[in-house]
Amino acid sequence: MIRNGVEIRDNFAEAFPMVGTRLIVTADTPDWALTAGRVTTGFATSVIGCGCEAGIERVLAPEETPDGRPGVSLLIFAMDFKQLKTVVPLRLGQCILTCPTTACYAGVETGKRVPLAKTIRYFADGHQISKKIGDKRFWRLPVMEGEFVCDEDTGSVEGVGGGNILILARTRGAALRAAEAAAAAMGKVEGVILPFPGGVVRSGSKVGSKYKGLFASTNDAYCPTLRGTVPSQLTADTGSVMEIVIDGVSFDAVAEATRVGILAVCDIGAEGGVVAIDAGNYGGNLGPFHFKLREIMANEGDVA
Amino acid sequence: MSGVSLKPRATLEARVDLSGITPAVTCPLTLRELEGLSVPYGAKSVPLAELFFIEGAPEGVLLIEIGDSRLDGVGAGMLEGELIVDGVVGAWAGRGMGGGVLRIAGDAGDFLGAELSGGRIELAGNAGAHAGGATSGSRRGMSGGVLKIGGNAGPRAAERQRGGLIVIGGDAGEGLATDMIAGTASVGGTIGPLMGRGMKRGTVFTRTVPELPAGFVDTGEQELVALQLLARRVPELKAVIGQSTRARRLVGDTLLGGQGELLVPA
Repeated sequence: MIRNGVEIRDNFAEAFPMVGTRLIVTADTPDWALTAGRVTTGFATSVIGCGCEAGIERVLAPEETPDGRPGVSLLIFAMDFKQLKTVVPLRLGQCILTCPTTACYAGVETGKRVPLAKTIRYFADGHQISKKIGDKRFWRLPVMEGEFVCDEDTGSVEGVGGGNILILARTRGAALRAAEAAAAAMGKVEGVILPFPGGVVRSGSKVGSKYKGLFASTNDAYCPTLRGTVPSQLTADTGSVMEIVIDGVSFDAVAEATRVGILAVCDIGAEGGVVAIDAGNYGGNLGPFHFKLREIMANEGDVA
Repeated sequence: MSGVSLKPRATLEARVDLSGITPAVTCPLTLRELEGLSVPYGAKSVPLAELFFIEGAPEGVLLIEIGDSRLDGVGAGMLEGELIVDGVVGAWAGRGMGGGVLRIAGDAGDFLGAELSGGRIELAGNAGAHAGGATSGSRRGMSGGVLKIGGNAGPRAAERQRGGLIVIGGDAGEGLATDMIAGTASVGGTIGPLMGRGMKRGTVFTRTVPELPAGFVDTGEQELVALQLLARRVPELKAVIGQSTRARRLVGDTLLGGQGELLVPA
């Protein structure tokens, strides 16, 4: 399949199940909400080394938030529920509680409960105030700047981690421009995050390593500098590859992000230096979710 | 589940205890079965049909067509369904209710919603003493649900309240929130003297600062994110909070180590 001169390879992205949750973080100003969002999701690119994958899902207008202030919604994913219950309170306590003017609310009502103020409330040393409305309880913690308001817990979803596309381009500049365009388009899809820096991964990995104890290593088949020395997936005119990794609350959300990402890359086209779009496929051993690129793009028409 | 309508045959000459007559009890029964249902009436018990005309009503609803101040325990122990009283009720209405909706078009006697744990009571008129409070000898008052009083509440409303929401549209009498353990109360009008003595935790919203016991400490006007959160999550509090993001906060009863609060939105 070729679109605007870009080959969409007959491959699939292989993704795995993750458990995730959504937090709504508000603050007095959009800047402080974004600051809280950025630090909370910082160092959360890959479960391989960070314990979770997290990102800002979208920016929220005041009328969309529980307390009428500007906010952001964050998605945090972990490999299992136990891990999620560990990382969320840690990030809440270190990055949201500490950030000026913030409040933190549940962004998912269903599923197993992930503790928020249920544990953090003890920071208030007995001065914490609880309010239960219906079945929902929130807490007010006196802090030096005023009060930190936080829901007792949030729900969780069984999501999908590791959806991806690989952008093969003639030069590093072309690969980066295409990746930026794709990340911008994919970031607008609700229910997904692109956890890597700016949404883009330059060090995509394969499963396993020659070194004992390493779970992952550089995806040598897509490293241009190794072309010819290892079994390569790169054509002679490919000089750089960027990957975009997608975590989502559902298969459909990841598939939609994949679709809009490929469209954005194809809009740049061969003239913009893009050679092909591929996906990370690990022989079916990594996970049960397969995002088949050509199936996802089958209804887009204009193949040329 | 079908509905039931009760219409008094004549003015009651003694107090009636309707605490066992809830929609969950009446709705599954046929009208014939309902007629024989025994209810305490003064010093004796009589069949329901001796006091009321019994007819059908919308599904899940128990309707008392004409209220009477001698009807005690209306909706007491109710767990589901809807009970509507088109008039006044006596004491203990909604006592110990755990769910469902109780609507009363008139006034209510003492102990309205006492020890309520869930559901919703909407009273259009005035309530007697101890609304949402604890019953005699009990250590805990209302623990959940919503008690909405359109008019005034008598003395000691929210006494020993430990959860849920009491909204008083009019004035609150003496001793509001005495020994309050937790929960939220809101007063649209004025608050009588000696509010909050022995208050441990909990929140009382009002528009003006009443005369408070010595144990209350004024912490000044505060910027509270929780105000707009509450105004959005609890429609009943919107009237007293409005668009305020600041409130004067008075904490008490500190003489007893309590951390309850009176919030007066700015």
